[in-house]
Amino acid sequence: MAILEVRNIVKSFGGLRALQDVTLSVEKGEIRAVIGPNGAGKSTLFNVMTGLLAPDSGNVVFDGEQIIGMPPHRIIRKGIGRSFQITNIFPRMSVFENVQVALFSHHGKSRNPLHLARKFTEIGEETIAILEQVGLAGKYDMSASILSHGDQKRLEIAISLASRPKLLMLDEPTAGMSRFESRETVSLLQRISREQGLTLIFTEHDMDIVFAISEKIMVLQQGAVIADGTPAEIKANPEVRKAYLGEEITES
Amino acid sequence: MDLSFLTVQVLSALRQAAFLFLISSGLTLIFGVLNILNFAHGALYMLGAYFVYALTLHLTGPAGFLIAILAAPLGVALIATVIETGLLRRIYMQEEIYQLLLTYALVLIIDDLAKIVFGPEFKSIPKPEMLSGSVTLFGGTVPVYTLLVVVLAPAVALLLWYLLYKTKTGKVVRATSSDREMADALGINMSALFTLVFAFGAVLAGLGGALAGPVRTVFPGVGTEVIIESFVVVVIGGLGNLWGALVGSILIGSLETIGIIVFPEFEMALIYLLMVAVLVVRPWGLFGRPLKIKALSEKNLAMEAQEISPVHFTVHPAVRWAPLLLLLLVPLFAGRFYQYLLTQIFVASLMAIAFNLLLGTTGLLSFGQAAFFGVGAYTVGLLLTKAGFGTLPALVLSPVVAAAVAGIIGFFCVRLSGVHFAMLTLAFGQLIFAVVFKWYGFTGGDNGIQGIRVNPIPFGGMGALDLGSTQAMYYFVLVVVGLSVELLRRIRSSPFGATLKAIRENSQRASFLGVNIKLYQWTVFVVAGAFTGLAGGLYALMEKSISPEIIHWSKSAEPVFMTIIGGIYTFAGPAVGAVVYVILNSYLVAWTEKWALVLGLVLLTLVLLLPGGVVGYVNEKARQTLGKLRCIHKWPFSKSATS
Repeated sequence: MAILEVRNIVKSFGGLRALQDVTLSVEKGEIRAVIGPNGAGKSTLFNVMTGLLAPDSGNVVFDGEQIIGMPPHRIIRKGIGRSFQITNIFPRMSVFENVQVALFSHHGKSRNPLHLARKFTEIGEETIAILEQVGLAGKYDMSASILSHGDQKRLEIAISLASRPKLLMLDEPTAGMSRFESRETVSLLQRISREQGLTLIFTEHDMDIVFAISEKIMVLQQGAVIADGTPAEIKANPEVRKAYLGEEITES
Repeated sequence: MDLSFLTVQVLSALRQAAFLFLISSGLTLIFGVLNILNFAHGALYMLGAYFVYALTLHLTGPAGFLIAILAAPLGVALIATVIETGLLRRIYMQEEIYQLLLTYALVLIIDDLAKIVFGPEFKSIPKPEMLSGSVTLFGGTVPVYTLLVVVLAPAVALLLWYLLYKTKTGKVVRATSSDREMADALGINMSALFTLVFAFGAVLAGLGGALAGPVRTVFPGVGTEVIIESFVVVVIGGLGNLWGALVGSILIGSLETIGIIVFPEFEMALIYLLMVAVLVVRPWGLFGRPLKIKALSEKNLAMEAQEISPVHFTVHPAVRWAPLLLLLLVPLFAGRFYQYLLTQIFVASLMAIAFNLLLGTTGLLSFGQAAFFGVGAYTVGLLLTKAGFGTLPALVLSPVVAAAVAGIIGFFCVRLSGVHFAMLTLAFGQLIFAVVFKWYGFTGGDNGIQGIRVNPIPFGGMGALDLGSTQAMYYFVLVVVGLSVELLRRIRSSPFGATLKAIRENSQRASFLGVNIKLYQWTVFVVAGAFTGLAGGLYALMEKSISPEIIHWSKSAEPVFMTIIGGIYTFAGPAVGAVVYVILNSYLVAWTEKWALVLGLVLLTLVLLLPGGVVGYVNEKARQTLGKLRCIHKWPFSKSATS
């Protein structure tokens, strides 16, 4: 059953058509890549799906519910997590607090003004569990601003996981990482998806990563979908090769 | 209405607009390029006037006057260059509040220095004979000098237009103003450009002062009156936008003239009402655009970026309760003066801690807290003197009324952020000030309310609590403030507080946690307003007389100082700052007249050398020692974390 249905999204900025009739269907538990050259509309598509931008026309149905027109914070509550291209954490809070505050929100405790945060021991344990999952538990009391880039990215994923999303949208999860860090992050994502049946949609420039973990790939060019299929189909698609991949992809 | 009357009034409005434009064009230019809202701009204006005054003492005649008018702005520019290269340059990477405070510290310092050099009295600057006459225009009598100013200001505007749009440097300035990073990446020499723009802005301020000096008087502190007006102008026009400054000047100049004729009582209120109206409809001003949110990498994150985050420590209960115990014992050995001083400190602490819930915790700089303090104080004052309320019911209502006012003001303010938020809170605060100041029938106007009678608080048949003595008042305030501070501490350490911190750090990310940011910001604004109102209510009880001064924006600056002195990212910081501030205030005023100068220097030093404040510094330096002494200890998730 499809958990996410994006139907005929059109979005223009002035005269520029950023998205032209984009349709996308993602199955539950699937790992789906959205690729395309710079300016192809990947980030715009993500912003439309998470309520940051209103499309000119089209529909987004998540888990059987129409979510276009909802503000971001309500869409998140429906079960969509998002990580950003630029590292997006709470820098002057500790690693622990970064995840804890997300859990407060998830458990509907954010409005509680009179109980001490540290007295919520169950949420504390849950925080540590999530940090262990991404391998940051040992650094729980460090200020997030002094973590390495790779660790910050992992912290960001941990924050997204704390809202227990059904669907996680990642905008270039390995941008700016060393090769080693990227590989670690990729295996982390794969593991989480497998263990929790989490659906992942991500954009990525590194084709090795895209073809290594995606189950399906959608290719955007100038705001239009030019191909959508399994990695093998994408590799074989002549239009993709011509338009975007060039000769970069050789059978390996 | 005849033509002569109209002519006179139109020219008077235009003259006012001309002065406003000269000052605010420099202000907006500096903001556009440096991203600094320069509080000291009014002080630079004042220096321009003083320089003309000093020069015309020696240079007489029309030629001398002309030389003075031209030389004064250059002198101001020189001082501005020293300020930019020596002080401002050091803190460009810091958050806005520090830049704002540094320029405010400069205001205090320059004002007092001017008092030392030129004396505290009002100075008038004689105009040369050929400029002091008047001509008849459409039947109205118009001073020649007014005509000169009205012609000169558009000439300056034209020159500005030429410089900005037709010269290469002007293009660079505009490019930098619209995208600083891009300009930086293109290899523009930023530091030279910043100095140039700051000095040039100062020339405009100096010229404004030089031209205004001969028609208005000049005295230490005149800049403070001017700067607020200019803030209104640039905010209405759109921060950083030159045409906005022009249109804003004409609007405000006209409104002031019309106001004086039509509503002389509420002329001042009209200006702030216009500002509020514009910002409510167009949050970024008439010609402004939303400011680009600074990338986090641009900001200085060094503060609190120690290896271990302080939140994972708890203070030993004994350390927390010891001061309270000590305070309970104070009246046993301290006299009435010290009891009164401490009571003042309690009230100030409550106001500062409530304020810091906005600034330190949520990242909202409110410049209108005095309004809530005043609303609380006037609630108590009016209920006791006019409505015959009992002491306790009146005090209980003070935070309620303040919260209601904060609810309305906050609704509009939380839609903005950063400097715009600060300016809108300032405008609302001044609006309330202006109304209270003039509404003789209800608030007593500038006379305030005298002789507030504090009746004993009955205890349900078990006698009554008489607050007549200083000591009784001391204990009463201590208990009320103590309970409030404990509540505020809980709020800050609660899940709600953690969420506020997340909003401060990264509001976009916070909204992606499913948090309705604006609602949270509004809520905390109301909470802070309520506690500030309670502080005001206590103030009315202990002082027994109140005046509109407590609502003036300079009162709003006090909690800002206290917080910065004590430490913005600590809970106890603002209270420590209140101690320092109140003591400095009471002793320095007795010891020297240069109290503002000392305060300015203290602030300057803190901003430059100790941005974490006193408590922040101690926290950072002494954590290990405190841990060994068992004053603080780490809280327990470490076990499962390190296993």
